[in-house]
Amino acid sequence: MSYRIAIDIGGTFTDYVAMNEDTGELIVTKSSSTPSNFADGVMDCVEKGNIPLEEANYVVHGSTIVINALTERKGAKTALITTKGFRDALEIGRANRTDLYNLYYAKPKPFVPRKYRFEVEERLNKDGDVLIPLNTKQVKEIAKKCKDEEIEAIAVCLLHSYANPEHEEKVRDILEKELPDVEISISSELIKEWREYERTNTTVCNAFVKPVARKYLDTLKSRMKEKGLMIEPYCMLSNGGAATFEMTKINPINVIESGPVGGVIGANEIGKMINERNIITFDIGGTTAKTSLIYNNEVKITTDYHLEKTPIFAGYPIKAPITDIIEIGAGGGSIAWIDSVGVLKVGPQSAGAEPGPACYNRGGTEPTLTDANYIAGRIDLARFLGDKYDIDIKKSYEAVKKIADYYKISVEEAARGIIRIANNNMMNALKLVSIRKGYDPRDFAMVAMGGNGGIHSPFLGRELKVKKIVVPRNPGVFSAWGMLMTDLRQDYIRTKIIGINHQNIDTANSIYSEMIEEANAMYLAHGFAEKDLYIVKSADIRYKGQEHTVRTLVPSRELKNDEDLQIIRENFEKLHEQYYTFKLPDTPIEFVNFNITAFCKIKKAEIKPVEILGKPEEAIRCRKIVDFDEDGKIEVAVYEREKLGTDSKINGPAIIEEKTSVTVLYPDQKAFVDEYGNLIIEEA
Amino acid sequence: MSKVDIFTMENISEGLIAASDEMFYSWGRTSQSPIIYEVLDCAVGLTDAKGNLIAQANGVAGFLGTITYSVRSVIDKFGYENLKPGDIIITNDPYNGSGTHLCDISAVIPIFYEGEIVAFAANKGHWNEIGGKSLGSWSTNSTEIYQEGLQFPIIKAYEQGKLNEAVRDIIEANVRTPEMTLGDLYAQTASLRVGEKRVIELCERYGKEAILQSIKKMMENDEKLAKQELKKLPHGVFEADGYIDTEANGIEDVYVRAKVTITDDEFIIDLTGSDPQVPAPINCTRYGALSAARIIYRPIISPHGVGSEGLYKPLKLIVPDGTVFSATRPAPVSCNWEALSHLTDLVAKALAPHIPERITAAHFLSIVGTILGGIDDKTRQPFVLCEPQAGGWGAGVNKDGESGLVAIGDGETFVMPAEVAETRYPIIVEQYSFNLSSGAGKFRGGYGLIRDYRLLNSTAELTSIASRYRYFPWGVNGGKEGSNNKVQVFSKDKMFEKATFSNYPLKKGDLVRYITGGGGGYGDPLERDPIMVLDDVLNEYITIEEAKKIYGVIIEESNGKLIINKDKANETSKKLKVNDSAN
Repeated sequence: MSYRIAIDIGGTFTDYVAMNEDTGELIVTKSSSTPSNFADGVMDCVEKGNIPLEEANYVVHGSTIVINALTERKGAKTALITTKGFRDALEIGRANRTDLYNLYYAKPKPFVPRKYRFEVEERLNKDGDVLIPLNTKQVKEIAKKCKDEEIEAIAVCLLHSYANPEHEEKVRDILEKELPDVEISISSELIKEWREYERTNTTVCNAFVKPVARKYLDTLKSRMKEKGLMIEPYCMLSNGGAATFEMTKINPINVIESGPVGGVIGANEIGKMINERNIITFDIGGTTAKTSLIYNNEVKITTDYHLEKTPIFAGYPIKAPITDIIEIGAGGGSIAWIDSVGVLKVGPQSAGAEPGPACYNRGGTEPTLTDANYIAGRIDLARFLGDKYDIDIKKSYEAVKKIADYYKISVEEAARGIIRIANNNMMNALKLVSIRKGYDPRDFAMVAMGGNGGIHSPFLGRELKVKKIVVPRNPGVFSAWGMLMTDLRQDYIRTKIIGINHQNIDTANSIYSEMIEEANAMYLAHGFAEKDLYIVKSADIRYKGQEHTVRTLVPSRELKNDEDLQIIRENFEKLHEQYYTFKLPDTPIEFVNFNITAFCKIKKAEIKPVEILGKPEEAIRCRKIVDFDEDGKIEVAVYEREKLGTDSKINGPAIIEEKTSVTVLYPDQKAFVDEYGNLIIEEA
Repeated sequence: MSKVDIFTMENISEGLIAASDEMFYSWGRTSQSPIIYEVLDCAVGLTDAKGNLIAQANGVAGFLGTITYSVRSVIDKFGYENLKPGDIIITNDPYNGSGTHLCDISAVIPIFYEGEIVAFAANKGHWNEIGGKSLGSWSTNSTEIYQEGLQFPIIKAYEQGKLNEAVRDIIEANVRTPEMTLGDLYAQTASLRVGEKRVIELCERYGKEAILQSIKKMMENDEKLAKQELKKLPHGVFEADGYIDTEANGIEDVYVRAKVTITDDEFIIDLTGSDPQVPAPINCTRYGALSAARIIYRPIISPHGVGSEGLYKPLKLIVPDGTVFSATRPAPVSCNWEALSHLTDLVAKALAPHIPERITAAHFLSIVGTILGGIDDKTRQPFVLCEPQAGGWGAGVNKDGESGLVAIGDGETFVMPAEVAETRYPIIVEQYSFNLSSGAGKFRGGYGLIRDYRLLNSTAELTSIASRYRYFPWGVNGGKEGSNNKVQVFSKDKMFEKATFSNYPLKKGDLVRYITGGGGGYGDPLERDPIMVLDDVLNEYITIEEAKKIYGVIIEESNGKLIINKDKANETSKKLKVNDSAN
C-alpha cells in the first residue's frame, strides 16, 4: 500500500491527513502543536496516524517555523551589506506614517541594527552598467568584522542588482570563502525586482530565518528517516506550490505564509471537481477568519505582503510570492467587548485555546463568539468537546450577561448581537476580496472550512448572494487535505522597464528564456525530469505614465510578431478595466516586471467519488430550538452528517453536525450531499 | 419612527466607514497622477445632509477637515433646491471651503435616496498640474493667487450625470498636461460614485431611517468620547509663539502665536496676535487653519482611527481675518502647508510640557517640498521630480524620537526609492542616510536625513521650500533642541546653502543635498540610561566623546569590547545614575 501524507502545523493544532493512493480512503488525526519544538508535534501526528513512513510516496509539510522566527525575533544574528551611501536605507524604510494622527507612532524597527549594517564601495546604474567597480578589499574587511562579531547570517542587497547581479555574486563568493559557516543570502537570488527598501528587507528576513529553517528541516527529515521515510519530503510554499526540503532551505522566506494556503488550494480542487471555476474560500478557525478569491480556477498570488502590518503600523514588506488571503480577527474564540462609548465590538482579541471560551470552563470569563453560538443553540459543545472539557453552558450565560446587563437586554438578545457583529466583520472581509475588487459574488461558489466555517458561511453566503456554499468533508483538517493537491512551484520575477512594441520583442524573449533556463537548471539540480516541467509566463504591465501595474498572462510560446503583442494588450486591458473601471486605448503600454511560474508535475492524489449510505430521516439525532436571528427562533431537526448518504436532500432550517464542525442551514436554504461527499447548500 | 437596535446601528456605521475606505482605495488605484498613487496625497469622506463628517479616510493629515468644509461650501452656494442627483461639484477655492491651495481639488456629490439628500460623498486630491506661472503649479515665490493656477469657484463639473463640456475645455486649455489633469478629474469623480453606490445600498438594506439614526448615534458617541478625554486633560490657558522662517520672497521671520484654552467641554485655539498675511505663498486660509487645528487635536483626543464630526465638536478656532493663518484674496497660498504645520507646532509647544504622554518634542515640521525639473536631454520630454522629504521626530516620555519619517502635514506618504527615482529622472541618488544630529535628552530626538541628488542632465531647475532653518525643533522637560532643515547646492567646488529656492538653475554634475532636521529631546540627557548611550555608541549614532560630553557616560575599550566605566562617571554629572542594570 502507498500513502500520501500532509502534516500542517497550526497555532493550536497540528493536523494530519493521509490518503490511501489506491482506495482514496482518508486517515485524519490531530495533535497539539508544540512550539518549543514543533517537530515533536509533527512526529506525534505521524505516530497517531499509524501509517508506516516506508509506505509514504509523498510527504508535504506546512509549517509556521519561518513566521514564528520572524514575529518572535528568534532568528540568526544577521548582518547586512549595502551600497555605499545606503547603510541607513533599511531603517529609513519608506518614511511613511501609517498611524497619521499619532505623535507617538513608532516605525518598524529593522531586523539588522545599524552596527551590523556595512557599506561597500560599488555602484550600478538603472541599466546595470557599472559606475563604480566593487571594492573587494572592503568586502574582506567586512567579512573579518562579521567574524569578530560572531555573525550567523549575512544579507547582501546592492542598488540595481536586479539589472545586474554581478557585484552581489562577487560579494557572495568572497563571503562564502571567508566565512564558510555563515549563511549568505543575496537579493538577486531571491527577487530581481526594483525598490531597494522592499528588496533589502526581504533579503534580510530571508537571511534572518535561514539558519533556523535549515536546522528545523534537517532535524525533521532525519527523524522521519529514522521512522522509515524513503523519499525526499516537501514543504508547502506560500505561493500555493510545494518544494523539497532542500530547495526550501535556500530561500525559506518562501514558506512565510504556507499555513492557510492549503485551504485555498483544496478549495480550488473542489471547484474543479464540481465544475465551479470561481470560488470564494472562507476558513473560520478559533482566532481568525481567512478568505481568498479564486477566479477561473486560478489562485491569486500577491507580492505586496507586509509582515505585522495593521491599520496603524506599516509592517515589513516581504516581496515573496504569496497567495492573496485576507485575514481578520474573527473566530470562535473572539472576545466580545464594549468600547469606551458603549459600542459592542467582537475581536480581534481571542480567548484562544487557553483559557478558551467561557463555556470550556477553564477559567475564561470573557464572552466569545462560541459562547454566543452555544446560547443561540447553534452548536452543542457538550457533545463535541464533552470528552475533553467540562463544558458548562451556564458559564456562557454568565459571560454574555455582562453584555446583556450593559444594554439592559436579555442574554439571548446579547448573544444574537455578538453573532451579528461578528458576521458583519466577516462580511466586510468577504466584500473586500470580491465586490470591492470588481467581482460579482453571484458568479462564485463559497467553500467553507475550519471548525466554524459551517456555522457562519450559510448566512454570509446568502447575504453576499453567492450561488452556492460548499462544506467539504472533514472541514476541520481541510487545509492539510489541500496540501496533497499541489504541484511543485517556483516563481521568478525580473524588473526591466521597456515599451511593449516591435523593437523590444527580442529583448523580452531573451529575458524570458534566461529566466526559464534558471528555473529548469534549479529543478534539474534537485533531480526532477525536464518532461515534468511547465512554465506559465506573465508580466506586470502598465500604461506609460502610470505607476500601478496589472499582472497579465503572456503567451507561453516565444513572442513572434505584433499579433502576439496585440494579445498581450488585450489581456492587459481586459484586466485593467475590471480592476480600475477604465482603459486608455491610445496610450502605449510597457513591461515593468517579467514573471514566470515554473511548475513541476508530481503524481497528485486522485479524488474519487465516494458512496455514502444512509437516508436523511435516519440521520436525525434530535430536534431542538435554534435562534436564527432575523428569521426567528425555530425548532429544527439536528442531523448527523456522517449518516447522510450520497444524494441526501435536506430543507432548511436545520442543523447538520459532524465530528469537528456544524453547519447551520437557514430557512430559505436547502442542502444535498454530492457524489464526493460534499455538502452543497443552495437557495431553496 | 421605529428605533433601530444598537447592533444594527454598529453594522451600518461599519458599512459607512467601509464605504469611505473603498472610495479611497479605488481612487488611489485608478489615478494616473503619481502624486495620488505614489504619495496618496488625497482624502475621501462621507458627510450627512448638513455637511457633518461621518467618516474620512486620508493619505495625508493635511486634508483633515477639508471634506466637511468643502461640502458646506457647496450647500451654501447652491442650496438644496438646486442640487440634483448626478451633480458633481468641484472647488479649489482656498478662501472658501476647499482650504489648501489651488492644486488640491475638492469634488462633492449629493447622494439621493427616495428623492431626498441623505448624505454627501466628497474627496480632495492633489492634481499635478493646474496651470499658473510654474510647471507643477506650486511655486515658492508667487505674490498673488492669480499666479498659482486655474481657480474653480465651486462649480458643477457634472450636471445630472453629464460632463459640463465648457468646464472640461477650460481645463484643457489652461493646464500644461491636459491629458493627465483630465484623467485626474475622471478618476476623482469615479471614486465619488463608488461612495454614492454604497450609501444607496445601505439604505436599501436597512432603510433610510436606520441609516439616519446610525449617523446620529455615531456623532453622539464620538462627542462623548471627546468629552471623556477632555476631562482627563489639564484645564487652563496655555500659550506658545514662534516664527515661520522660510525666507520665501525675502521675508525672514513671520511671527506666529497661539493661546490654547482647555475646559471640560471645549478646546479653543486662539491665533490672535499672529502676523498679517504676507506676499509669499506660505499663508494658509481660515479653512486650512481649521484643518490644522483638527490635525493637532487628534493626537490629544483620539490618535487612532476614523472620527466623525462629533469628535471635533469641542474644538473652536479663533482667528481674525487677514493673518498668515486666515489669509484673504488675493494672498498667495501655494505653500500653505508652512502656516498649517506651524499652527500644529504652536499648539503642541504650548501643551507638550503639560501632557508629554500625548505630545512628543518638536519634529522637523516643514514638508520640505522639493521640485527638480527640466527637459530630459535624451527624450526631450519635460521631467518633474516632486516629493516631500522625511526628517527627525521628537522624543517622548518613554521613547527616542523616530528617525526619517514624513512631517505632520503628510501621513501615509512614501518617499520614492532611489532605484525608481533614477529610472524615472536623469539623476543619481548618491546618498540616503541619517543626519546624525538631534536633540539630546533622557530620550533623544530622532535623526533627520541626508539625501543627495546628482544631476545627469545638461540643465535643470530647483524649487524648494523649508522652514525650521534658523529656529530649531524644541525639546521638552529638559530635552535639548534638535537640528535644522537646509538645502545645499554643490556646483564644482562651491557650496550654496538656503532654506528656499525658486527656479534655481542647475548644471550637469551639480549635487543637491537635502539635510532635514533631527527632533527635539525629552528630559535631562544626564538621566539617559547608560545602556542606551552605549547602544548609541555601538551603533555609531554618537561617538565615545559625545557620550561623555553630552550624557556623562564614560565608555572604554576592554578586551576589544566597548563597556561602560561605572567608576569613572564624569564628575560634571553628579546626577548620573549608574544602576546595576548597566551590567
